[in-house]
Amino acid sequence: MRQRSLIAITAALSAGALTLTACGSRDSGDNGSDAKGGTTVTIGIDAPLTGDLSALGLGIKNSVDLAVKNANKKEYVKGVTFKVEAKDDQGQPSSGQQNSTAFVTDKSVLGVVGPLNSSVAESMQKVLDDAKLAQVSPANTGPGLTQGPDWQKKKVRQYKSYFRTATTDAIQGPYAAEYVFNKAKKKKVFVIDDKKTYGAGLAATFTDAFKKLGGKVVGTEHINPDTKDFSAVATKVKNSGADVVYYGGEYPQAGPLTKQIKAAGAKVPLVGGDGIKDDTFFKLGGPAATGDYATSVGAPVETLPSAKQFVADYKAAGYKEAYAAYGGYSYDSAWSIIEAIKKVVDDNDGKVPSDARAKVTAALQNVSFDGVTGKVSFDEYGDATNKQLTVYSVKDGAWKAVESGTYNGS
Amino acid sequence: MTGIGPLEPGEGTWAREPAEARPAPRPWRRRTLLIPATACAVLAAGAALWITRPRPAPPPELPFPAQTVTVTFLVGRSTAPHRLAFDVRLAVEPGPPLTVTRVSQPYAGMSAESEPRAPFRTAAGSSRVITVTMRVTECGRVPKNAALPFLEVTLRNARAIQTQSFILGPRYTRYLSRALGEACGESTPSSPKHPRRLNS
Repeated sequence: MRQRSLIAITAALSAGALTLTACGSRDSGDNGSDAKGGTTVTIGIDAPLTGDLSALGLGIKNSVDLAVKNANKKEYVKGVTFKVEAKDDQGQPSSGQQNSTAFVTDKSVLGVVGPLNSSVAESMQKVLDDAKLAQVSPANTGPGLTQGPDWQKKKVRQYKSYFRTATTDAIQGPYAAEYVFNKAKKKKVFVIDDKKTYGAGLAATFTDAFKKLGGKVVGTEHINPDTKDFSAVATKVKNSGADVVYYGGEYPQAGPLTKQIKAAGAKVPLVGGDGIKDDTFFKLGGPAATGDYATSVGAPVETLPSAKQFVADYKAAGYKEAYAAYGGYSYDSAWSIIEAIKKVVDDNDGKVPSDARAKVTAALQNVSFDGVTGKVSFDEYGDATNKQLTVYSVKDGAWKAVESGTYNGS
Repeated sequence: MTGIGPLEPGEGTWAREPAEARPAPRPWRRRTLLIPATACAVLAAGAALWITRPRPAPPPELPFPAQTVTVTFLVGRSTAPHRLAFDVRLAVEPGPPLTVTRVSQPYAGMSAESEPRAPFRTAAGSSRVITVTMRVTECGRVPKNAALPFLEVTLRNARAIQTQSFILGPRYTRYLSRALGEACGESTPSSPKHPRRLNS
């Protein structure tokens, strides 16, 4: 009898152990994109996945994928399994528009994260808004996308389906001007832009604020982003007597530009916005990039406990590419859509309603949660209410945070 | 040896011993096999339970001070030659207590101080009104038309010390521009009252 009892206990313990081990295996091997039954909802991603800007685009894609995996692992929305559908816009507005049309056609898509470029967003907004399909960009900073082309005089919301987690160049440009003029003590600037929506817009907001502070613009130039020879512009910078260069554009051009400016003999720092804040900038610029500056959206990752978890999860997920400048914002963009879907599903007895897209767009307006980058919510224009910025400088082959600012316009 | 006798047994000619003829295994021998197996299973189960035991969650990390504070421009108080004062509200989220160790501003040609005078403590989950007084030392170097002026506040909590730029938005921008004009004698002061003496 005692012997039979021993066998029974052993069997029970072994079975328990096996069960626990099996549970652990299932969790660790769980793929967020695998269906677990219920309704499958797709979150679209539009970003440059190939080409010069792919370092940023792939960081966006991976971070959204991580958010979806976490939502599925937690079964955050009961009865809903999320999956991602990533489309490459190559930084081209026409591709972004085609991708938007494809997302609209796929009825399982209830939200889109992206794009990177403001110029691409302009081509996507109407297509998605006509279908009431929510869009949250982690990276667009052009003020007109939310507040209209005349935003400096009268703000008018453009599309109810468009939101963003990044702050705008209406703040980023002046914030950079304040730093350059008051802290870096630079008074004569040479302004260069790439003629694109983002670059030209950012250069304009910087220039306006720099002049208001008493700074002098000693030269302006536009470059062609399709070339890498900026020697003529570099010579103009050298001859202008500028003590700083401001560049409105992105890192594929900014890296060679700073190298050629210094090679021309102008030993002055180059300052740019979030578009140059990628490691590729100083890889392209080499030692000449040391001492250059970039402003970027958000507080430094190391000062955000919430971001620490994101960084650990991202590493554990084993993505090949870095999460880059917009990783945290991409995760939060995806999670804002997930929160909106959760609200809609919960309000509909646990089922995805037939008019889910319109309801998700409406719910997005009211989401509020503690995200990777801090509190996530949107104002009446669809802009992020959390407006933080940081100045970074290239030092010892890395971007180092110099100082941060918080905007509170209320 | 020609007679028929019994054959000598050769290789393979031994008859099989009937099974029932084997001695029955004794109960203690079965037990000797079962005990190590059981012990292994118990150990494995114990290890699995230990590994998967519920562990207490690590204490949440303290937030950096700048992530716990909101500074909002409230109202201008007074202006006088080379001097202006205004109120801001400093709100601290629930969490660790916070000390403001310095209030300053980044522009040449002026200085700032606060009432209460820094350093001062603000309880977590509370807010307080701070009056900032700016003294103009050189009218030619003040930002009379700054697009995005800000206050610099150095904050300390148990986690870190941080200096954060608080950009106070368009109302503050308009106020500062007008008040600096008045303080530098470019227009009539908005208030005939003498400013309160603060921190001095």
